[in-house]
Amino acid sequence: MRRPGIRSLAGGAAGIVAGVIGGIALTSISVASGPTPAVPGLDAAHAPPLLTRPGEPVTLRYAIVCAPRDDGLPCEGSGSVYVRAGQTGLFRQLRLRRGAESREGRYYVELPRELASSRDGFSYYAVLRDGTTGAAMTVPAGGEAAPQRSFPLGDATEVDLGVHAFSADRAPVERVVAAPWGSDPGEAGLAGSRELGFGGPSSFDVTPEGTVAVLDQVNGRVELWSHGGVKPTNVEVSGGLADFALEPGGAMDVLEPPSRTSPAPVLRSFRRDGAPRWAQRLSDRTWAKLAVGPAGPIVQQQPSEQWLPLAGRGAALSRAAQAAGGRPGRPFTNGREVLVERVGAGELRLAELVGNAVLRSWRITSVTSLGEVQLAEPYGDRLVVVMKTYTDDRSDYAVLVLDRAGVEAEFAVEPLEWAESAPLARFRLAGSSLYRLGSARTGLFVDRFDLEVSR
Amino acid sequence: MKAFLAAFGLAIVLAGAAGAQAYHRFWANCNYDAPTFMTTMTRDAAQDYANAARYEGYQWGGGCWNYDDADSYPYDAPGDPSTHGEGGDCSGLAFKTWRESTDDWRDGRYYWRALRNVHGPYTAGDFKNGFGAPNHVVAKSSAGVMDGFASSTHIGLIFFRSLYGGDQIVEAKCEACGTNIFYRTYRSDPSYGGVARWGWTG
Repeated sequence: MRRPGIRSLAGGAAGIVAGVIGGIALTSISVASGPTPAVPGLDAAHAPPLLTRPGEPVTLRYAIVCAPRDDGLPCEGSGSVYVRAGQTGLFRQLRLRRGAESREGRYYVELPRELASSRDGFSYYAVLRDGTTGAAMTVPAGGEAAPQRSFPLGDATEVDLGVHAFSADRAPVERVVAAPWGSDPGEAGLAGSRELGFGGPSSFDVTPEGTVAVLDQVNGRVELWSHGGVKPTNVEVSGGLADFALEPGGAMDVLEPPSRTSPAPVLRSFRRDGAPRWAQRLSDRTWAKLAVGPAGPIVQQQPSEQWLPLAGRGAALSRAAQAAGGRPGRPFTNGREVLVERVGAGELRLAELVGNAVLRSWRITSVTSLGEVQLAEPYGDRLVVVMKTYTDDRSDYAVLVLDRAGVEAEFAVEPLEWAESAPLARFRLAGSSLYRLGSARTGLFVDRFDLEVSR
Repeated sequence: MKAFLAAFGLAIVLAGAAGAQAYHRFWANCNYDAPTFMTTMTRDAAQDYANAARYEGYQWGGGCWNYDDADSYPYDAPGDPSTHGEGGDCSGLAFKTWRESTDDWRDGRYYWRALRNVHGPYTAGDFKNGFGAPNHVVAKSSAGVMDGFASSTHIGLIFFRSLYGGDQIVEAKCEACGTNIFYRTYRSDPSYGGVARWGWTG
């Protein structure tokens, strides 16, 4: 073995120094580019009474959520609600009271009768405080610029569904997508395990022409299914259970959940060819549903419990701009907005708004419990609603076509959900067809139901 | 040049490993302190506790986390508690949030600090079946704030109900998901049952 020369020793020493510096730098970069602290130390929850019945007393309740105290007691919160009769004008301050129970939110205010029963409804926002740290937050995030808006249900069309008959489900007219689990074109990605449960393609959308786009986030792609076959387009997504929407021009929007390294939800927009367009963090901490509104993607978010716009004129909106654009209902291209409020165990209130005026409304009651509303969309001069109805060990989707007189058509769809998807992404409406995303042990499918078939 | 490159490569690997160890130092602060016996347990204090576990990661079989708003070890091998990753798993988060005892016959209230490494004796399936003195099943339609929904493989706690009929659920669902609040439809899912803790005091 040759004795090392002075140049070798110097080179080795320099290498060690450079390597140590490089290693530390890389580690630092990896730590620094990790998740940025996102907890403001204060959070909140509130379920707004969007639609009120005549004479119904209104109590606004809030959960104020702070950093946990070392003595294990709940935080000392406080706050005020700023409320006004109708949808414009000056707000009046009402202090929140602290109740003995926190099951529906410990902090509350009972609205005076003249506000609760105002002919034009009422609008409000709350400023909530953590008494320990002094931190404050506004709910909804848009505050005075985009307050919660509540409307009288008015002369609502009453629909009594009675007791749901399970096992009377309608069969689809057509299976438009059938994809075995896998990663080849025409297959659908499956993640998870028997122990922790499986997640398949988490959302889908349908063009007016009937082309079905399936978000196969496990394989990092969108698959477009039409009668001509299937065309995959790669998109850079995290692989979590995301929602998905196609914009009219072909742009694709993927609403990502928080993950281990990205604690806040993000909307990623892609061009038709899968190239990234933009990505934007949501205003709020939690999302329920993504849709395309008249001006671009919109997201129903919590704790604001509003539909917030994510883009305007093709560009992403800042979090503040999102919050300032919050609306109580989902806006549609026909200029109307659909409000949805599930109440108690078996009641659903619905209304169509034009501006800040209720055009028509429905109150649906059921003896069998009602679950989540998957879809509530205009269908010509009618409204299509798809919601879950359930007992402790069974469930069905109830599909209703509503008009001013009540239920024009009604049928049930069996939930076939072997793999998990995004929460409110199971149904899409295109033309006179209702599409359902389903899964089985063998693979993924999309079924089509015809809304024009009579009962 | 060869010596430089060889030494550089070795040093960068060793320095990187040391950095990873530093990143993993949170585990050194985990402890086995006794819990504090409490006479009260409110739903909003439970919201505070579970909400603060958000962003702190997921560890199958685990139960230790700090409050630095980051998963200190986000890529630990799933399904192996010996990796000492940060965070609880779903049933560990429910156990600590619900202030339960490690003895399934005790129904008292035991406050475990975040850094106390404890998972508790229950699986998600145990919670679903109402197993253990502090636990019971409830009708899903009546489940409220900080009650839960449990399947044979997962449990999540109700942070708050939501307009469209689903729930905001605080949960530790998987290594990649971390711990966070997600909108879920467990309430109407037949594979999930309603579960609750006896003994809320407000």
